[in-house]
Amino acid sequence: MIKVEHLTKAFPGTVAVDDVSFEVQAGEIVGFLGPNGAGKTTTMRILCGYIAPTSGVVEIAGHDVLRDSQAARRNIGYLPENCPLYPEMRVDDYLFFRGRLKGLSGRSCRQRLSEVKELCGLEEMGHRIIGNLSKGYRQRVGLADALIAAPPLLILDEPTIGLDPNQIREVRALIRGLAQQHTVLLSTHILPEVEVTCDRVVIINRGRIVAADATWSLIEHASSPRMIVEVQADAVELKDRLLGLGAVKAVEIEPAGSWVRARIEGHGGMDMRPELWRFLREAGWEVREFYSEKSTLEEVFSNLTAGDEAEKAAVETVA
Amino acid sequence: MKRIWTMWSRELAAYFFSPMAYVVMIFFLVVMGFSFWLLATVLSQGVRGGPVMNELFASIFFWLTILITIPVVTMRLIAEEKKAGTLETLLTAPVRDSEVVLAKYLGALSFYIVLWLPTLSYIGIMKFFEPPDTPIDLGPMVSGYIGALLVGALYLAVGLFTSSLARNQIVAAIGCFAICCVLFLGGFLPYLVHSESVRDIATYLSSVMYMMDASRGVVDTRGIVFHLSGIVLMLFLSVKVLEWRRVV
Repeated sequence: MIKVEHLTKAFPGTVAVDDVSFEVQAGEIVGFLGPNGAGKTTTMRILCGYIAPTSGVVEIAGHDVLRDSQAARRNIGYLPENCPLYPEMRVDDYLFFRGRLKGLSGRSCRQRLSEVKELCGLEEMGHRIIGNLSKGYRQRVGLADALIAAPPLLILDEPTIGLDPNQIREVRALIRGLAQQHTVLLSTHILPEVEVTCDRVVIINRGRIVAADATWSLIEHASSPRMIVEVQADAVELKDRLLGLGAVKAVEIEPAGSWVRARIEGHGGMDMRPELWRFLREAGWEVREFYSEKSTLEEVFSNLTAGDEAEKAAVETVA
Repeated sequence: MKRIWTMWSRELAAYFFSPMAYVVMIFFLVVMGFSFWLLATVLSQGVRGGPVMNELFASIFFWLTILITIPVVTMRLIAEEKKAGTLETLLTAPVRDSEVVLAKYLGALSFYIVLWLPTLSYIGIMKFFEPPDTPIDLGPMVSGYIGALLVGALYLAVGLFTSSLARNQIVAAIGCFAICCVLFLGGFLPYLVHSESVRDIATYLSSVMYMMDASRGVVDTRGIVFHLSGIVLMLFLSVKVLEWRRVV
């Protein structure tokens, strides 16, 4: 559905997107992540034909966004960052205008209007003036606009920004519901969101792709596995013997009352649980806790993109 | 075509949602009403023959109104959308940049025509009070309106162009005012230069001279060509500015 090859976008003085390539298959929900200023919005704007790439090829549903821009754009429902709308218009008028602009006939536009309003929870809001709506409702209007022409591809730039936790949950459910008929590319800062919503993530940092994989596999592979055990044993002996095991990379010991808690880090890509369990059984210590600590996307994200926050801050100070 | 219609109707409606439109309309009608009062005064003094319609179409009040009204009418066209970010939603919809520019231009032009509509009642008033022996000549009226439409249309195109360049509406308005002032004051060049050839050329390019003629009942095709080509140039440049954004 989306094919990006060697996409580069340079602005005077900076390279916002640097040789980025990725693909999104039809029916996928892909999370597009990265710290602020990483090039997410720039990439999305290029995908939607708002700005042109410096070099590289972008195809939407087989249409080149530069040469066949109109056809490419007809396949996209786009929700830009901050959800810009005409504040003086009424919700119904705005959505009708957008539907007509996207080529719907008057009758099908009216029909779609009531469908997307129901989908986005805007049934009661049709006659309200957009400028008077709360942030959450405005976000829904933007989403309804993206959906109105029933495009096969949705590109959503931070669809949950500025929403309260309940609204975020609603939008998340909405997006997952949409996945049956649409391909979705969404950017967000809320990583737990991505973990539950997205099949796949693309992480971009300083204009380059640093990871692109299925969400679960990224979490599994990007960081080493960790186990927590609490046993009744001598701290020093426990540490020494644990470090003697082949699967163990590092051990941290801390007392937990009369017990000793060990945080055990294994080598990436290896399951150390069977070996560890065998060891504890053979040692004959009493065990009250034995569980593996799942790393989160948040950790993966900060591992992949850390280190340049300080650098970036320095650059900003100079600028 | 359907998309241009859709965008045009939104543009025109947007004027009437903002208080600015009503302020402009009141200002316009007050000044034009004053011009009409002057015209009525001249007529009541029993002037026979001679051009009188320049009170309405070529006086300093006409030009003042045009020079102040048009930047205010056009400043929001693109600059506002840039600032609010709605240009992004607009230009990522399947519409061409040229369609956006044309629809916005037609929207502004329609509003300008709406501004002039109430003044049509002046014709009725004059017809009602005309003395039986010297009927009002409608010719200069018609050519005057054609002239006002053409000059306004050119200045609106200038305003659209400056609005496409600026992000701030005030900057767009001042830019439009500046360019229109140059066009207007340049119109006095034929009075100032002594060289025959320069004067000839300057006459063709002068909106001021054009309106003087128009208010006497002359419909000069050279003036029409000048204004129309100016409009085309400005719209073309506006489209290029929008396209430039995709490149840079």
